[in-house]
Amino acid sequence: MKKIIKGKWLSPYLPKISLKMKLTTLLLILSLVRIQASTYSQNTKLTLNVNNTSVEQLFNKIESVSEYRFLFESSLIDLDRKVSINVEKKKIVEILDKVFKGTDISYTINDRQILLVKKKEQPSVSITNAEVKAVDQQDVKVSGVVKDAQGMPVPGVNIMEKGTKNSVQTDFDGKYSIRVKGSNSVLVFSFIGYETLSKTVGQGNTLNVVLKDEHSTLNEVVVIGYGTAKKGDLTGSVVSVSGDDLKKTNMTNVAEALTGRVAGVQVTSSEGSPDAAINIRIRGGGSLTQDASPLIIVDGFPIASLNDIAPSDIESITVLKDASSTAIYGSRGANGVILVTTKKGKDGKISVSYNSFYGLKKIANTIDVLNPEEYARLQYEYVNRFETDDSSYQKYFGQWSDRDLYAGMKGNNWQKQIYGRLGETRSRDLGIRGGTDKMNFNFNYAHIDEKTIMLGSQYKRNNLSLGLRNKASDKIDLSFTMRYSDTQINGGGTNEQNAKSVSADARLRHSVGYSPIPLPGLTTDNTDEAVAGYLVNPFVAVADNDRLQTRKNFNVLGGISYKILPGLQLGSDLGLDNYNFEDYRFYGRSTFYVNNQVAAENQGMPALALSDKKNVTFRIANTVNYDFKKVIGENHSLKLLAGQELIKTNSTELTSEINGFPVFFDFENAKNLSSQGKALFTQTTYAPEDKLLSFFGRLNYDYKNRYLFTATYRADGSSKFLGNNRWGYFPSAAVAWKLSEESFLKDVSWLKLLKLRASYGQAGNNNIPTGQTSQLYIPNTTTWINGFTSFWSASKVLANPDLKWETTITQNFGLDYDLFNGKVIGSVEVYKNITKDLLINFPVPGTGYDTQYRNMGETQNTGVEASLSITVINKPNYGLNFSLNFGVNKNRINSLGVMSDFGQSTAWASTAIGDDYVVRVGQPLGLMYGYKSDGRYEVSDFDYNGTSYTLKSGVPSNATIVGTVSPGVMKLKDVNGDGKVDASDQTVIGNANPKHTGGFVINANAYGFDLSAAFNYSFGNDIYNANKVEFTTATENTQYRNLSTQMASDNRWTNINAAGNVVTDPAELEALNANTTLWSPFMRNFVFSDWAVEDGSFLRLNTLSLGYTLPADALSKVGITKLRFYATANNVFVITKYSGLDPEVSTIRRTPLTPGVDYSPFPRSRQVSLGLNLNF
Amino acid sequence: MKKVLLYISIITIGFLTSCNTDEFLDTEAKSTLDESIIFSNAGLAKGAVDGIKVPFGETNSYRGRFLPWYGLNTDVEWYNTSQTASANTELCNYNTTSTNTNMNLTNNVWAMMYSGIERANICIRGLRTYGNPQPGTELGYLLGEALTLRAVYYGDLLKAWGDVPARFEPITSETLYIPKSSRDVIYKQLIKDLGEAADLVPWPGATSATSNVERVNKAFVKGLRARLAMAASGFQQYPDGIRRSNDADLSVEKMYKLALDECRSVISSGTAHLESSFETLWRKYNKEDLTAGGESLWQIPFADGRGRMLFTFAVRHTTIDQFQGNGANRGGAAGPLPFVFYDYNKADTRRDVTCVPYKYGTAVKTTSDPIGVAKQELNDLDTWYFGKYRYEWMSRYVTSANDDGVDKLYMRYAEVLLIAAEAANELEGPSAAAPYLKEIRKRAFPTASQATMVETYVNALTSKTAMFNAIVDEHKFEFTGEMERKQALIRWNLLKAKLDEAKTKMTNLQARTGEYADVPSTLYFKTAADNVSLTIYGLNRGEITNPGVDYTAKTWVKLDALKISTLYDATINPDTHQFWPIWKVFIDGSNGQLVNDYGY
Repeated sequence: MKKIIKGKWLSPYLPKISLKMKLTTLLLILSLVRIQASTYSQNTKLTLNVNNTSVEQLFNKIESVSEYRFLFESSLIDLDRKVSINVEKKKIVEILDKVFKGTDISYTINDRQILLVKKKEQPSVSITNAEVKAVDQQDVKVSGVVKDAQGMPVPGVNIMEKGTKNSVQTDFDGKYSIRVKGSNSVLVFSFIGYETLSKTVGQGNTLNVVLKDEHSTLNEVVVIGYGTAKKGDLTGSVVSVSGDDLKKTNMTNVAEALTGRVAGVQVTSSEGSPDAAINIRIRGGGSLTQDASPLIIVDGFPIASLNDIAPSDIESITVLKDASSTAIYGSRGANGVILVTTKKGKDGKISVSYNSFYGLKKIANTIDVLNPEEYARLQYEYVNRFETDDSSYQKYFGQWSDRDLYAGMKGNNWQKQIYGRLGETRSRDLGIRGGTDKMNFNFNYAHIDEKTIMLGSQYKRNNLSLGLRNKASDKIDLSFTMRYSDTQINGGGTNEQNAKSVSADARLRHSVGYSPIPLPGLTTDNTDEAVAGYLVNPFVAVADNDRLQTRKNFNVLGGISYKILPGLQLGSDLGLDNYNFEDYRFYGRSTFYVNNQVAAENQGMPALALSDKKNVTFRIANTVNYDFKKVIGENHSLKLLAGQELIKTNSTELTSEINGFPVFFDFENAKNLSSQGKALFTQTTYAPEDKLLSFFGRLNYDYKNRYLFTATYRADGSSKFLGNNRWGYFPSAAVAWKLSEESFLKDVSWLKLLKLRASYGQAGNNNIPTGQTSQLYIPNTTTWINGFTSFWSASKVLANPDLKWETTITQNFGLDYDLFNGKVIGSVEVYKNITKDLLINFPVPGTGYDTQYRNMGETQNTGVEASLSITVINKPNYGLNFSLNFGVNKNRINSLGVMSDFGQSTAWASTAIGDDYVVRVGQPLGLMYGYKSDGRYEVSDFDYNGTSYTLKSGVPSNATIVGTVSPGVMKLKDVNGDGKVDASDQTVIGNANPKHTGGFVINANAYGFDLSAAFNYSFGNDIYNANKVEFTTATENTQYRNLSTQMASDNRWTNINAAGNVVTDPAELEALNANTTLWSPFMRNFVFSDWAVEDGSFLRLNTLSLGYTLPADALSKVGITKLRFYATANNVFVITKYSGLDPEVSTIRRTPLTPGVDYSPFPRSRQVSLGLNLNF
Repeated sequence: MKKVLLYISIITIGFLTSCNTDEFLDTEAKSTLDESIIFSNAGLAKGAVDGIKVPFGETNSYRGRFLPWYGLNTDVEWYNTSQTASANTELCNYNTTSTNTNMNLTNNVWAMMYSGIERANICIRGLRTYGNPQPGTELGYLLGEALTLRAVYYGDLLKAWGDVPARFEPITSETLYIPKSSRDVIYKQLIKDLGEAADLVPWPGATSATSNVERVNKAFVKGLRARLAMAASGFQQYPDGIRRSNDADLSVEKMYKLALDECRSVISSGTAHLESSFETLWRKYNKEDLTAGGESLWQIPFADGRGRMLFTFAVRHTTIDQFQGNGANRGGAAGPLPFVFYDYNKADTRRDVTCVPYKYGTAVKTTSDPIGVAKQELNDLDTWYFGKYRYEWMSRYVTSANDDGVDKLYMRYAEVLLIAAEAANELEGPSAAAPYLKEIRKRAFPTASQATMVETYVNALTSKTAMFNAIVDEHKFEFTGEMERKQALIRWNLLKAKLDEAKTKMTNLQARTGEYADVPSTLYFKTAADNVSLTIYGLNRGEITNPGVDYTAKTWVKLDALKISTLYDATINPDTHQFWPIWKVFIDGSNGQLVNDYGY
C-alpha cells in the first residue's frame, strides 16, 4: 500500500501501515519513476480471489499482481472493512466498482495511479461532466488543461479559488472550467503526487498549467543504524546509493560501484588485479597504523569485505559519515559505516530478473623498455662501469664492433607475453522474487568468472542468497536470510604484502628487466636481498609465485519483529557467519624464500605455505522501538529506540610451511602431493575470542516537521580491553532545521527543501588484534639457528594492559537543498573529525620488542564535501541528468604522544633505501621522505688533472649515497648546506594525500536508449614511482637487466664513444653528452629522490555504458516486462601527467603509513563488455 | 515457531542483562602456555632459552650487521674498499654518524640485542621463579645458558656503544623508557652472572649439552668472564674522556686477578686445548666440526642457511664455482692490511693461513660441468683476504644465496692463554706470563723453528713492558681477521697510535723503505698441477730472481696513498670516536631518554 503524504494531506495513520511503508516506499519511488515513462494499459485484466479480507489487504494484493498503485488519504478510508472479491480477468474499473459499491468513495484512474476520494468532497462535479456550475456572483469564466511535466493530461486535479470554497476538478482529459470573481483571483491546483501550484487568473480566459511531480526523494526511506528514516528527516550526514544505480553497468564488485559516487567517500583500488585491495576511506579515516576502513554492515550483520556480496543482490547502500549517524554503532563506527541492504521478496506475482554480460579486456599500459640494440649498448657500458674487463659482455654479445647485429632487431615484449593476453569476464545473475502477502521470498544467484590479462590469473565467484519473510500475524513479522559466497582466486599477482619478502619476488620487474633477446646460457643466481636485483625469466617468476585463494562465506540471519502495542515494537535479530579462507602460496625455485629462508638442505627446492582460517561470528541484537505519535499530538513526533547487541567471533587458523619438494614439482604437484615435502611447521592458532557487548538508545524528535533532533547513546564493552577500559561510551546529538517548512519560505515555489543540519558525536574504534593486554608466550619456528627448529618466545609486540577505546569526535554542519522541483538537488557539508587516544601499533625500537599497541596521539580530518544532482531534461521519451560530487579532506597529525616523528620504510628495495615515509606531528599521513634531485654532475663540476676528476670545492659530494662521484653521476641537493650530501639531507619530497577528489556521472536517455558515463578524479596527490627508480638504475647486482626507455642512450649520460672506448677528455665527454639530460644509470644503490615523486592527479572515465530497452508493448505479448541490451567500456581513458602505468595505485600496503607507492603493480586493463537485463 | 523465537530473544535479553558482563568479556588465550608451566618443565624451558639465540640470526642483527662490521678498521684489518665513501666505509673509519643508512633501521642489531636480552630476562625470571635451577640439573644448565647468552649480548653492546641502558628484568610499562646507565654497573652484573653461570654449567664434553660448542660450557663461561673483566678494567672512552673505570670493583688489580683465576681454572681443567696446528683449527672451523673439548669454546650457532661469516670475510670467489654456490663476488669484503703478511716471521704457520693474496676467478663452465671450475687469480698488493675463512675448506657446498651458514667462532682457547699471559704479566711479572705465550707460539712454529722463535724469543722478554708489547704483537699474529683487535687496542689505549703506525707501515711498504725495504715489487706466478691453485714466487722478502719462463710476472706495488690515508677518517681522532653512535631511530624512539654523549 502506497500513499504519498504531503503536508496538508497528512493525517495520523495506522501504525501497521506505517511499518509497511517504511519497508517499501523506496521500491515504490523507484517504480513510480519508471511508470511515468509509459502508459499502463487500462485494459489490463486482473484475476482476484479474496474472501473476507480487509480493504488494505486487497489493495496490497492488487498492487502485487499489477502495477497499479493506490493513492489516498488514510483517514478517509476504512481500510479494515472486509470485502470478498472473486473475479476472473476483469478490468480494474470493474473491480473497483465492486469494492466501493455502496460506499462514499469514488476513484480516478490516472495511468497506474488509482486515486481514492470521498464522494461528498466533490459535490459540484461529476467525473464525466467537467462543466462547472456557477457559484454566487462569479463573473469570469476560466478554463484550461492541466498537464504533468511529461505533457500528459492529469485528471482529478482539485482546483480551488483561493479564499473561497469555490472548487472544481479536472476531467479525464485534464480539462477544467471554473467561474471566479475576477482577474485577481488566485487558483490553487492540487493533486496527490504533484506540487501544489497557485496561479493568478489574469486577463485571459484560458489558464493552462503544468503540474510538477512532487519531488519524491525526500520521502525516500534510507536505512540507518537499527532502523530506517525518511531522507528528508535525516539530521546526520548520510548518503545512500540505490541498487538501481549499481545495475546500469557491469559491476563485478560492490565497492567499485561506489567509486566517485559519494562525496567524501574515497574508493581506490590499489592495482589492476581482480582481487585488488579496495581501499574505502570515509573522510580520510582517523587511525594511523590501524586499518581505517569503515565498518561494513550487511542486513545488520558486520562483515569483513564487500567482496563477498553480489552487486545484483543489493537493494541499497547507505554511507554514514558523521558521528551522529555512526554513534549508534559505537564501536568501530569511528571510520564511518557502510550499510548494505539486500533485496527483499515482493508480494504478488513472481518476477524474474536475469542479467548477463560478457567482457573482453586488454592491458591498458606497458612500460617501454630499451630495444635489443640499446640493451646491448647498455650492457657494454655496464661492464665498463662495474667490471674490470668486458669478458662478461663479450660472452653473450660478442665484440663491441659487432653490435650492429642488434640494430633493428625486435625484442621480446615480455610484458605483453605475461600481461598481454585477452582477458574475459563472464557474469550472469538470476533473481527470483515473489510470494503472497503472508510469505514472500527473494532468491538470487550470481556467478562471475574473470580471466584476467595476466597469465594464470583468474577470479571466480558464486553468490547464492535466499531471503524469506513471513507475516505470521498482524503483529509478528519473521524474516530469514541465507547468503553463501564462494570465491576462488588463482594466481599470485605481481607483488607481495605479507609474504616472505616484499621486494625480492616482485614480478613486474622481471618482465621489464629480462633480456629482450635470447642469450643462451645467461642466468644469474644472485638474489642478494640487500640490493634487490636479479634476472629471472618472467614466465618462471609467474609460475614460481603461484597462489590459490578460496574464500567461503556462509551467513544465516533470522529476525523477528513483534508489534506489542500500537507504536511499540520489539525486534530481535540473530545471525551466524561462517567464514573460511584457504590460501595456498607456492614458492618455486627462483624465489627469495626458497633460496634464503628455508633450512639449507631444502634450499633451491620448491616450497608451499598454506593456511586455513576459520572465523565464526555470532550476533544477537534486540531492539525496542516506540513511537509516541499517538501520545503527544500532531505537531510533535517522538520516536525512541533502545537496544542491546552482542557479537562474538571465534577465529582459528591452521598454517603450515612445507619445504623441500622435489625440484621438478610445480604448484599443482605441491598442492596435491604435500606429503612429498618436509613440513617446516604445522601450527594451529586459536585466537582469544573477540566479544563485544553493547547497549544503545536513540531518540528522534521533530516539531512540526521543521525542527528535528536526534540523540544517540551507546555503550560498548570489548574483550580486547581490561578493567575500567573495557567500556566505551559514545554519545551524539544532531539538530536539523527545515527552513523550507517555515512560513516565510513555504510558498517559494522553486524551493522544495532547504535544511540546515549540525551534529556532534563520538564514535569508537577497537580495531586491533585480540590478546594485546597480556604478554603471551607463543610457539615459533626458525631455520636460522642450529640445534632446534621450534622455540618459545614472547610476542614481538609488547603487551599493554592499559589499552582503551580510540575515540573519534565528529562535528558536522550540512546544508541540503532541493530546488526547482527536484531539478537541482544537493548538499554541502563541512566537518571536523578529531580522533584521540589513537590505537597505534607504536614502534618501540631498541626496547626488546618491535612495537606496542598504545593509545597515543591524535589526528584530525577536516573537510568540505559537496554533491549536486541536476536534472536538465526530464521528458517521457528523453532525459538528461548530471550528478557531481567532490570532497576536500585535510589530514593532520595533532600529536604522536611521546614522539614528534617517526619513519617508515616501504622496503621495496630491501634495505637499499631506508625510511622513505615519515610521520610527523602537524603534518598529514603519507609524507614521502628522500633526497632532492639536482640533475647530474657535469664535467664543469670537476677539475681534471689529466687522469682523474676531482670535485671542485664548493660542489657537494653525494658519494655516500650513490657511490664514487664522477661526471654524469646523479646529483642530489645539499639541503642542509653542510657541503656534502648524506642521510641528513633527506627531506619531505611528496605528499600522497589528494587536495580533493570526486566524481561525476552523466545519465541520458532517449527513446529507449540510455547512456551513462561515470568519471572519477583525484587532484593534487603525489605518487612514489618506485618502478621508475628501479627501471632507470643499474647496480652492481643487476647485470644483464634491461631498463626503461627513459634511460635510452640519447637521453642518458654516457662515457662510451661510438668506437666503444671510454672517454676521459673533458671536452670530448662534454660534447658526447651535450644532448642528453639524464644521469648515468650506473650507481651503487637505488636512490629515492623527488625525481621519482610525480603528480598523481587524474581524471578517469571509469565506465561508459550505452543501453537500449526494447519497447514494453512489444515485449508484454511474450511475457517479458523489460529487456535491455547494453555495452559498457571500463577504464575508457585516464587523463594524467603521471608517467607510470596508472596513477591510481598503492602497492605497499602492509601498513597504512605508506600510501601511494607504485611498485610492481598488477597492470590495469581496459574492458569492453556486452550485456543484457531481462525481467519477466 | 515464532513464539519459540520470541521467547528465545526475551530470555537472551534477560540472561545477558543479568549476568556479570565483565566475566563475559574476559577471554582466554588458547594457543599459548603460561610461564609457570614453561619454566618448570625442562623440555619447554629449553625452547624458551633457545629463543634467546634467535635474534643472532635476524636479518639486520649479528648475521648481517654486527659480525660483518664491528671490529674494522684496525692496525691489522680493514674494509677492502675503505677508500670509497659509503655507509659501510663510515662504519669502519671511525666517523660513523647516527644516521648511517646501513644501521639506522629499527630492526638493527641494537634492537635485536635487546630482544635477546629481554628473552633472557624472561627466562631468568621464569627459571628462578618456577624452575628450582640447581647445578647439575637440566633447569640449572638452562639458567646458566640464559645468563651467559645475556652476557654475550651485553658484552657486545658495551663493546660497540659504551654506556647502554641496563635491563636485567623483563620490561614493564614503567621501565619501557630508561636512560643509559653506567657501563660499570652492567659489567659488574655480567661478571656476577657469569660467576653464577660457571657453577651451573658443566665443563666441555661433561654432558651431552656441552659436548657441542654451539651450547655454552664452563670453559666458555669462564673465558668470557675473563674477557669481560679485562674489558671492564681496560681503557676506554667515557663521556669525560679516555680512562680506566673509576669503580673500585673494576680496578685492574681485581679484574686482572679475576681474569687470571678464570683462565687458570680453564687451563687446569684440561677440558680445552689448542688444536695441533693453526691450519687444523681453521680447517675444523670451516668444516663445521662442532665437537667440544678442542680449541673452540663457543660459537654463535648459525644454521646452515643463516649467517654471513664466509659470505663477508672469506677468500673472494668471483662467481659460483666448484667451492661455493653462495653467489657471485662472495667473501673478500675485508682483509688484512698489506703489511701484515710481511710482519709475520716466514716460518710462522699462521701467516699463510691468515693472509691470502689471491681470489678465485670466473668459473669456466663446460657442458659436462655446468657449475664450472674457478682458478686462483692474484690480487694487487692492496687487497688481501682472510684465509681463516675459506669455502674451499668447507665440507658442505653452500647453496643459499645470501648466507653461508658457518658459525661465528666466538671464543677460542688461544684467547684464554693470551689473557692469562697478559694478566699474569701485569700481576705477577713476565715470567709468569711466559708459559702461556710459549704455548701459543709453540703451536705456531714448526719444530725446527721453535728453539729460536719460541724459547729464545719469549725468554728474552724480561721486562713487563717487553712482555706486554710482545703480547700486543702476538695478539695480531694470532687473531687477525677475528675482529678481536679493535676492542683490544681500545682497552690498551693504543687505538690511534697503532692505526697511525699502520699507516706509516703501509707508506713504507709502498715505498719499499724501512722494515719493508726487502719486499719484492714483482710477483711471479703459475698455475699449479691441480690446475686451480697458484704457485707464487716473490711473496717472501728477498725473493727477487725471476724463477723461470713458465711464470708470469705481476707488478706488486699498488697501494694508493688515498687508500692508506682512509684507514680512518683523517678529519677525526679515532681515540675520541671509539664507539658507534646509537642509531637515530633508537634515540628518536627512546622518549628522550637516550643520547649520544661522546661529543660526536
